[in-house]
Amino acid sequence: MEYIVETNQLTKQFGKEKAVDGVEIRIPKGEIYGFLGPNGAGKTTTIRMLLGLMRPSSGSVHLFGKDLKNNRIAILKRVGSLVENPSYYPHLTAYENLEAIRKIVDVPRARMKEVLKLVRLQDAANKKVKGFSLGMKQRLGIAAALLHQPELLILDEPTNGLDPSGIIEMRKLIKQLPEKYGITVVISSHLLSEVDQMATTVGVISKGKMIFQDSIEAMRRIAQASIHLRVNDPKAVHQALLVYGQKADIKENSVAIQTTADEEVASIVQYLVEQGFAIYRVEEEKRSLENIFLEMTKEEQIR
Amino acid sequence: MILRLLAVDFLKIRRKGLWLLTFIGPIGVVALQMVNYGVRKDYLFSLTDDHWQQYIGNVSAFTPLAIILGIVILTSFMASIEDETNAWKQLIALPVSKREVYLSKFTMISCLLFVSSIILLLMTYFYGLTLGLGEDIPYLQIIQYSLLPFFASLPVLGLQLWLATVCTNQAIPTTVGVISVIFAYSAMYLPDWVIWKWPSLDNQWDQPYLNGLMGIAMGLAIYLIGMTDFKRRDVK
Ligand SMILES: Nc1ncnc2c1ncn2[C@@H]1O[C@H](COP(=O)(O)OP(=O)(O)OP(=O)(O)O)[C@@H](O)[C@H]1O
Ligand SMILES: [Mg+2]
Repeated sequence: MEYIVETNQLTKQFGKEKAVDGVEIRIPKGEIYGFLGPNGAGKTTTIRMLLGLMRPSSGSVHLFGKDLKNNRIAILKRVGSLVENPSYYPHLTAYENLEAIRKIVDVPRARMKEVLKLVRLQDAANKKVKGFSLGMKQRLGIAAALLHQPELLILDEPTNGLDPSGIIEMRKLIKQLPEKYGITVVISSHLLSEVDQMATTVGVISKGKMIFQDSIEAMRRIAQASIHLRVNDPKAVHQALLVYGQKADIKENSVAIQTTADEEVASIVQYLVEQGFAIYRVEEEKRSLENIFLEMTKEEQIR
Repeated sequence: MILRLLAVDFLKIRRKGLWLLTFIGPIGVVALQMVNYGVRKDYLFSLTDDHWQQYIGNVSAFTPLAIILGIVILTSFMASIEDETNAWKQLIALPVSKREVYLSKFTMISCLLFVSSIILLLMTYFYGLTLGLGEDIPYLQIIQYSLLPFFASLPVLGLQLWLATVCTNQAIPTTVGVISVIFAYSAMYLPDWVIWKWPSLDNQWDQPYLNGLMGIAMGLAIYLIGMTDFKRRDVK
């Protein structure tokens, strides 16, 4: 399979500490890849390496199937990016800021109007960026990233500091990119909720290590509800369930089963009652994606 | 590509006062002599018969200081424009070579300094004319003492640009800059091999050209070192 982004054992070491450790990213074309991790997990460091802003200590980055090390300029022609806080020249107008990039990427002037319109900044085009709100600066950053019609857009926490309506607007904007323009998007965040409504694939990084990478559906499956049985003797119930052919986990004073189908739950309960166990409670527990994400990154931190 | 980068660099210094500085520098240097000659022209004339020689000497006493000060301020302004919102990361993530980015910065500041030197040349000449310094105008010397300090100070430019672009902490280039200015001010006490002495065009062989040539050679060397280091480093 041809990947737009592919990293092999990507590692970055600062002194003794490995900020990114053996990360393997695989992103097929047209995906919106949610790159998740708590603060300090190594998202920005990874993204900086994807853009050639930092040299990996070891490992490699391939974009569009080409090695970034030897094809940096050719690759970057096809990549738009926004890393950490938006960069801009405050003493210049929005238009001049874009012009400073347009001259380098060499696209027609008309393209500046297009991207300004796309991020709804056309009315502020001739105002100095100094006076822009954070949301406007963020949108200008996106406009700059889209200026040369990239095939891959890499956004590092683009919703950082935006208010809820700003976040929704940004989400709408990003969501349409793959459908409308065939752009592959990488978007990092420390909140799953921020990307779960648009991401098609998720990668979770914690302490520099990739601990999960799969489709959002796969993550949802993990998040599926489970049934908790409060019983008199969880260990024995667990044994009995295994004999019955039902996978189960022992929790503190209950047993958890993954199935939630009414019929199955009914027959399991009936079976346990027949076996002479006392069942105090049958509860359904729903885990949110956010919880899964938190658990994943927490486990990693304890280890 | 380098021309486009250069156009971008000139776009970025709009409204930042760098051009103003470019003009103020040489005007200031000649203005000092306007005061000097305004106050005590008769006394100065009484000291020697070669009035042009004396006048050029007086002007050029302040040229090295002005040009070194100019280098320190311009490089630090340039860096602050990119540092302010850490625009380096945005710039280097574009399809440009880091070498060309560095070359463009170097060229832009060289252009400003060269314009300054040309203004100094014109100001020196025209103000000199108004003073009635004599019929024999030493054109060659005026040109030498206006333009050679620019070439002789290229090593200092190379050094300051290097520090300003790679240091995350701007205190380092600023400190070195202050030392540069002090050195330029005390050029006459420095040995010939010290780069900060070169803009004074003073050397034991009395060959101002030598300083210009050494400046170009050494400037090129320091430029190459700075560019290589800038390319090798992770972007701030
Ligand atoms: N230039 C650097 N020098 C030294 N250490 C660094 C450098 N950049 C990052 N680090 C360290 O690397 C680790 C990962 O940082 P990184 O910025 O990649 O995290 P992040 O996932 O982007 O976090 P956040 O959500 O806060 O943006 C941190 O521990 C940080 O201290
Ligand atoms: Mg970050």
